[in-house]
Amino acid sequence: MVALVIALALFFDFTNGFHDTANAMATPIATGAIKPKTAVALAAVLNLVGAFLSTEVAKTISGGLIREGSEGIHITPDIIFAGLMGAVLWNMITWLKGLPSSSSHALFGGLIGAAVVGIGLHSINFETVLQKVILPAIFAPLIAGLVAYICTRLAYALTSRHDPETGDKLTQKRGGFRTGQIFTSSLVALAHGTNDAQKTMGIITLVLIAAGTQEPGSGPQFWVIAACAFAIAIGTYAGGWRIIRTMGSGLTEVKPAQGFSAETSTASAILASSHLGFALSTTQVASGSVIGSGLGRKGTSVRWGTAGKIALGWLFTLPASAIVGALTALLVSIGVVGVVIAAVVGTAAVLSMFIVSRRSHVGHHNAVEVEEAGHAVRFRKKKKNQKTTKSEDVQR
Amino acid sequence: MKWLELLQVGGVTLVAAVTLVVLYSLGVRLTAIAGDAQQKSPGLVRSLAYVCFGVCGIAVLFGIYLIVPYFGN
Repeated sequence: MVALVIALALFFDFTNGFHDTANAMATPIATGAIKPKTAVALAAVLNLVGAFLSTEVAKTISGGLIREGSEGIHITPDIIFAGLMGAVLWNMITWLKGLPSSSSHALFGGLIGAAVVGIGLHSINFETVLQKVILPAIFAPLIAGLVAYICTRLAYALTSRHDPETGDKLTQKRGGFRTGQIFTSSLVALAHGTNDAQKTMGIITLVLIAAGTQEPGSGPQFWVIAACAFAIAIGTYAGGWRIIRTMGSGLTEVKPAQGFSAETSTASAILASSHLGFALSTTQVASGSVIGSGLGRKGTSVRWGTAGKIALGWLFTLPASAIVGALTALLVSIGVVGVVIAAVVGTAAVLSMFIVSRRSHVGHHNAVEVEEAGHAVRFRKKKKNQKTTKSEDVQR
Repeated sequence: MKWLELLQVGGVTLVAAVTLVVLYSLGVRLTAIAGDAQQKSPGLVRSLAYVCFGVCGIAVLFGIYLIVPYFGN
């Protein structure tokens, strides 16, 4: 059972990686700052480095949500298995839909659902859920969006050049931002590694403690850190092209200066929050930043249809993965047969989703169509034009 | 409720992001000025631009230094 849970946890880490590549690399790919394949390779390496840099988050993650220890409640590997199943399946579904949903919420949701069924309603610390999950979900995009908005305005104000005598616009020469994006997006990837890889480490450590092979209260062991780091790096390299498409061009058209501002805000928000212990979701921060930077630049319109679709996905993340987690917990409670059934059904579901995804293949070649020519002229789209693209978006 | 922490995270995010963006934008702006034909001292302006980029890079490295527990935080 422990081995099964660890395998599933590592797979969750993998899905987390390719689900979240978009957070770091969607905007530089959209603006043409980095070639798609180089971008994901860079993100993978930085995730790997980031995972080793700091394991602070791993020690605190998932602690407190479920009342462990007190009143004699113990998390069993079964519950964690069920929770992970919920998280993995929801990650796969949102990836298929191209929605940037929060992997951490999927994980929390799955664990909560599994604990409610496996132990009972009293096992959930609802106050902690509110503090750790619900409130950050509301504020993460708001903070990131606001900061990105301010930064975008500043970046454009500082670099807008007019002829002092005639008042005509000079060539703006904002090409420097494109180079800058390489660094800021790298920073986001690094932040993702320090933040998201930790969740899986925390889970595996929890399982090892629950199984009695590790001292309670000790940090993750080295092989756990290494395995998680590699799983998330491989996942990142596999690349979630569908979500990159949504983030890179579905929400708003991104110019280098906007992308630079959005990524700076994302990286600062994630690093600040994970350091100060207020857990924000990487995905929600990144989406908020992209929208904020879209609002900050004149002539860019935000596609609220797509934004609404994403927000809806966020709303469903917690309950949906909780339901899957709960169902799996029910199956597991039957006994060994239930575990086998759950594992087989889960694998089948993942496989079938993978097969469905092959039918409408989104790869690095068509994730974001970068049009080199006419790149600079195409900003001011009219409202009508936007609406048509929006409806296309919904159909997709 | 952790309003103070929320405020702290928001504040730190704002300060960090604005610092980086302002520095980098100044760098981009100065590079653009240095490239202008009628500019008298392009060398000076260009080196100023590089100073901006440099300070920006140092700010990033300092941020990473702050969050890595290995350096004794």
